Amino acid sequence: MATKIGDQESPQASASHQPSVKRAPPPETPAAIQTRFRVIAAFWAVIIFLGFPIWWKTTSIYRASLPIEEMVDWADGKACRPVFPLEIHLATPSMQSLEAQHLLRTTQHALDDLNEFAAHHLRLKLSNGSTTATHNGEDSPESFKYLAEETADTALTVRLLPQEGLVGPRSELQTATTQLDIFYPPNQVPVPSSSNSPLSAFITAELQRLYSEEKATIAYILSGNTAGLDSTSPQLAEEIDRRLRRSIKYAETYHLSFSLFTPGSEPSSWDIEAAVNEYVSPLLQALSPISNFTIDTQVQLYANFAPTAPKPEYDESEAVWTLKKEGLSAFVNAAEWPLNPSIGSGPTINFILYIPDPSQSPLFVKENRASSWMVPQWGGVFILNPPLSHTDKQGGPSNPTHLSQDSLGPAFMTFSHQLLTLLGTPSTPTSLPLRLQTSIRIRAASLLLSASSTMGSLARLTKSLPSIPIPATVATSVSTTLSHLSSSCAHLREGRFSAALASARVAETEAERSFFEKSMVGQVYFPDEHKVAVYLPLLGPIGVPLVVGLLKELKRIAGRRKAKGAP
Amino acid sequence: MALLLRFLRAFALLLLVSAVVAEHTSNWAVLVSTSRFWFNYRHLANVLSLYRTVKRLGIPDSQIILMLPDDMACNPRNAFPGTVYSNADRAVDLYGDNIEVDYRGYEVTVENFIRLLTDRLDEDVPRSKRLGSDSGSNVLVYMTGHGGDQFLKFQDAEEIGAWDLADAFGQMWEKKRYHELLFMIDTCQANTMYTHFYSPNIVATGSSEIDQSSYSHHADNDVGVAVIDRWTYYVLEFLETQVTSVTSKLNLGDLFDSYDESKIHSQPGVRWDLFPGGEQEGRLRTVVDFFGNVQNVEVENANATEPGSLKEDLVEIARLVEKWQKRDKEYSAILGNSAGNATEDPHSSSLHLKLKSTVGTTKMAEDSGWGKRLVGISVVGACTAIWVAGSIFGRSSV
Amino acid sequence: MAVDRRKIAVFGAAFVLRLLLTCLFPSLPDLLTGRVEVSTPVNSFKRLQEGLFLYTRNVSPYDGGVFHQAPLLLPLFALLPNAKSWPLPTAIFYFLVDLLNAYALLTISASGQSVKSRLHSAVRKHVRWDGVSVAAWFLFNPLTIATCLARSTSVFTTSGILFAVSNAVSGNTINAMLALGFASYLSLYPVLLFIPLVLLCYDRRSEGSSPPNVGSFIVQHAALLLASVAGLLGLSCLITGDFWEFISATYGFHLLVPDLTPNVGLWWYFFIEMFDSFREFFLGVFWLHLASYMGGLTARFRRQPLFVVTALLGVFAIFKPYPSISDASLFFALLPLYRHLFPLMRYTFFAGSAILYSSLLGPAFYHLWIYAGSGNANFFYAITLVWSLGLSILLADTVFAALRDEWEQECPGMVGAEVRQV
Repeated sequence: MATKIGDQESPQASASHQPSVKRAPPPETPAAIQTRFRVIAAFWAVIIFLGFPIWWKTTSIYRASLPIEEMVDWADGKACRPVFPLEIHLATPSMQSLEAQHLLRTTQHALDDLNEFAAHHLRLKLSNGSTTATHNGEDSPESFKYLAEETADTALTVRLLPQEGLVGPRSELQTATTQLDIFYPPNQVPVPSSSNSPLSAFITAELQRLYSEEKATIAYILSGNTAGLDSTSPQLAEEIDRRLRRSIKYAETYHLSFSLFTPGSEPSSWDIEAAVNEYVSPLLQALSPISNFTIDTQVQLYANFAPTAPKPEYDESEAVWTLKKEGLSAFVNAAEWPLNPSIGSGPTINFILYIPDPSQSPLFVKENRASSWMVPQWGGVFILNPPLSHTDKQGGPSNPTHLSQDSLGPAFMTFSHQLLTLLGTPSTPTSLPLRLQTSIRIRAASLLLSASSTMGSLARLTKSLPSIPIPATVATSVSTTLSHLSSSCAHLREGRFSAALASARVAETEAERSFFEKSMVGQVYFPDEHKVAVYLPLLGPIGVPLVVGLLKELKRIAGRRKAKGAP
Repeated sequence: MALLLRFLRAFALLLLVSAVVAEHTSNWAVLVSTSRFWFNYRHLANVLSLYRTVKRLGIPDSQIILMLPDDMACNPRNAFPGTVYSNADRAVDLYGDNIEVDYRGYEVTVENFIRLLTDRLDEDVPRSKRLGSDSGSNVLVYMTGHGGDQFLKFQDAEEIGAWDLADAFGQMWEKKRYHELLFMIDTCQANTMYTHFYSPNIVATGSSEIDQSSYSHHADNDVGVAVIDRWTYYVLEFLETQVTSVTSKLNLGDLFDSYDESKIHSQPGVRWDLFPGGEQEGRLRTVVDFFGNVQNVEVENANATEPGSLKEDLVEIARLVEKWQKRDKEYSAILGNSAGNATEDPHSSSLHLKLKSTVGTTKMAEDSGWGKRLVGISVVGACTAIWVAGSIFGRSSV
Repeated sequence: MAVDRRKIAVFGAAFVLRLLLTCLFPSLPDLLTGRVEVSTPVNSFKRLQEGLFLYTRNVSPYDGGVFHQAPLLLPLFALLPNAKSWPLPTAIFYFLVDLLNAYALLTISASGQSVKSRLHSAVRKHVRWDGVSVAAWFLFNPLTIATCLARSTSVFTTSGILFAVSNAVSGNTINAMLALGFASYLSLYPVLLFIPLVLLCYDRRSEGSSPPNVGSFIVQHAALLLASVAGLLGLSCLITGDFWEFISATYGFHLLVPDLTPNVGLWWYFFIEMFDSFREFFLGVFWLHLASYMGGLTARFRRQPLFVVTALLGVFAIFKPYPSISDASLFFALLPLYRHLFPLMRYTFFAGSAILYSSLLGPAFYHLWIYAGSGNANFFYAITLVWSLGLSILLADTVFAALRDEWEQECPGMVGAEVRQV
């Protein structure tokens, strides 16, 4: 290639000099000299005015400037100290306002004294007793309006109700709402003069208990371990750690894949749509502030175990088939069962409903007779043993051909439960709305942290790999991330957790996008001597006649100058 | 006393934490052969043998990235079409009928390999071609091919340098894409490839020192070429005969101690210094920590499967959702904005989610032809008119 | 004016030959359409049909990423019956375009501009072919016939260029610019011919009474060229609707060379092998290399602008991004105008044998590589190198001969003197 162009170039270049090198050449006319000058000038004009700018433009690595300092600050936690001020409304419908004020003050004092993790604290607030009482009675909790308002989310409403005939205060958590009812004997209303009262101590203890797991989890996320908290029991710490490890990595969108597997030909249909709408959709709606979900379903007949998987054993004593617990990991035949659809960007959570062969039904786990288990970070399995029908003429019993919505109920409720677990929802307190709220706070904290650390990674990467290009889109993503991080942080400070989560989600998505920008793959290691090898074969042969022509021309001009100057 | 108790508790907690940190939650394997052409049969056989081993020990195909630059099984020179063997006894067909190659042929390039490690891939690259590891993943990277001092050739056309590899691992660590990483390489002067690594938690091992060649083990006269390399052969021998199940307690120390230079004919190397705790700590990692899959299935305990509590929970959620939607409708009515999903009932919104992935189709119908012809005629007419006008004016102006 | 019998015979024979080839070997056109030597991504008839299919179904023709030709070809071909079911009308349309091109060549030859222009008069004026021979040389060139049968859309660019030249030499400068605008609109690269062509026009105009001002003449004609291109682009925009889509699918495609299907040129292999980070730089280098000849050749051959056009067409045939044999056939078509230079050429044997050798071995090596699998890409690339080498020897030799001719004209005493190449 290179020699080719050289061939093309050199006769021409030499041809243009040809008159001057002939044996006994006739003198060159001034017109010929001028023409030659023009030819050389034309080539050099192209090189200088077009060639060099193109060379400059195409070989320089574009590196958009990033706010490195700010990014590192976020990663080091200097830019934001995430705090979680939980606003708790105290509804005292039957208390004097002065008494209520006092109770609030003492309880707040007690809470503050006991709190050992400053980032997470409870802020008591007296709510307008009469309205709240009626309001909370039957309506949905305030906190679930996730439209960002200028007021803080209400984490919990504590309703203090006097009740006759009690020895000490008693609490009752309403599992459907975010409301804690505390019944107290009317005589225990603290008098404004006393500094502490059994009622305020009771409220304090109740609140502490309610939020201990959340506090420990957030502390764990923020600092990497729970060592900072003395009150956390090792069991709780272990529980938190286990939960965080089995939960799936956060994603903007999760694909839920519900699959029916059976080794025979039946059942071949199921009321999947109704079942999903009935048992899964409400939960997904409740989880929608945290992530998006897509659902797909499949029915796979004649799905066999892997040849190496342990076979079910027959338990004579109970007339059931059993699977050993340690063999469960090989239950899913990953090689042949068509799971893991590779469509879309988010991770897939698999839920497998397995109907055993009639000859192996009913099938249970040997150790505890359970029929379902969970595979961390992957999904869940449920073995459904439907009632067998004996209508088959050939003799043996057979599975029903169709699974109704009702028969799918237990399985799908288990799947919902597994989904909650896989998404890392905490197990306490017992009220699901409170758990979901806690989940929002935990997600906000972890996303804030992960987006910040991605920013730090990107900053370090930028510094350590100078040959990597940084396109402008990365700079935009980074600035979006940073702005959303700070707004998320501000929302947290104000106690608006849903809004904080929404910002943190945007920040996380943008941060991931900026780090995984496709064009940011560094030039493969490319020392300068390689560059010579790239440029020389082509540009050398082109360049030599051009440079020689230029030099000759310059020499001629210089010579003429001298000749002019001499006489 | 109380203080002592507290101290003890904190200590116990600390122990617990450190024990917890050492665990990983998933396993990934990246198995790369970098050379094509028939006479490099053994490199594909190396990789496929490793593939069989990790699959046997439980890593599913979805967590194995297999890069094969050539298809030996279907090579016209293969006397045993459709098969690949790594031993002259031809006992095990490595190709079998269940193999998932993620990158094949000319897809196996340095760029794709680096993109795979750093996950800088197009959005539409399927998940099967991505390394989805995270901060809890143990990753096994095995490479084989023709290499030299601090480089490994890819496909005869390009090469990956030790610097590139180190930077790729550095970025993986930076983005928490592995928990611990075992890097294995079988090529000439293999140990030079890991000299530039700088990210922590990596154990690296190679087949030969600088200025040493790695040799093939034996040839199969019927296949006509060498079928496996020495170092890989003895590593596999260890894995196949000693690590028989996922529960094997053999550790990396045992694996590396099994290297026998008189058999391998080169000096294999191991690099421990990036691993926290160095060689002592690293030796304790079991082989299945990298070659097997984590196997912790959680059987639902009795009270969790008990439908009562869960059912109640679900009923509550359903009620909650209903109320919440009512509220949302009020809000959107007040704000006058169509707030998308929130205002839809769960039924239609879940349907909506399902349909989202399908691409819309458009019906193509041929135009009756006259419209297009008319356009054609007018275009040709306009051009001709301008041309004729040009001829008239052009001529008159001369 | 008496009808020239030879002319009719040549044109008629060319027409009949093409018709016979089409009718006797009905699969020949489709075979040629699929050959990489004839059809490139920017002139392939197959791709045009794909675009046409989408166009007649009211889908953007550029949607499939297959079609990269100018949008105005679509309404034109929509007028013709479907080439799949009635191939003959389309084929005959192409035959007629070929004959038209030959007619333009006839005009160029008849003007005598190649031997005697305003500033130059060749030494061997008498050694020349007449117009009919030039047209016959063009019409019976196997490369031209192959291009015509393959229905490559390059023939329209060829028409544009030839009519631009023929109108320029016959003094109709407006139509020259219109035709050049059409050619540039179709294939982008003919715009590089503007300077020599406008000088040709200027020389013709100056032969008359009062020579116009050079600067304003050039500016006027540049404006005319721009207007014609803008008009065509406007029409295209009306047809396709989306301006940027068709610009990026056509001119973007020409400029950025994303499709590296093998062809007879030098670019594809080079850019397959090039490191990605240098791709853009070498794209720039290759385009500049192509463009830089324009200035140098124009300056050197200011006295023979028609020769500059010929030489540039030779350069394009070798160095343009998607060359096909039709570009070579255009260069070969203009060469016989310089019959008087043939005696001065020294390497015709080498050039001729290199071209013959490569045109015979090229298809064979391509077959070995793609179909038989017993060769690899290097085989075919090597043969395209030989092809380009042959063309460049021919081109360099022609340029040398033209220089020699100019020199002999300046120094009449040296006619026939021996030349030593350094």
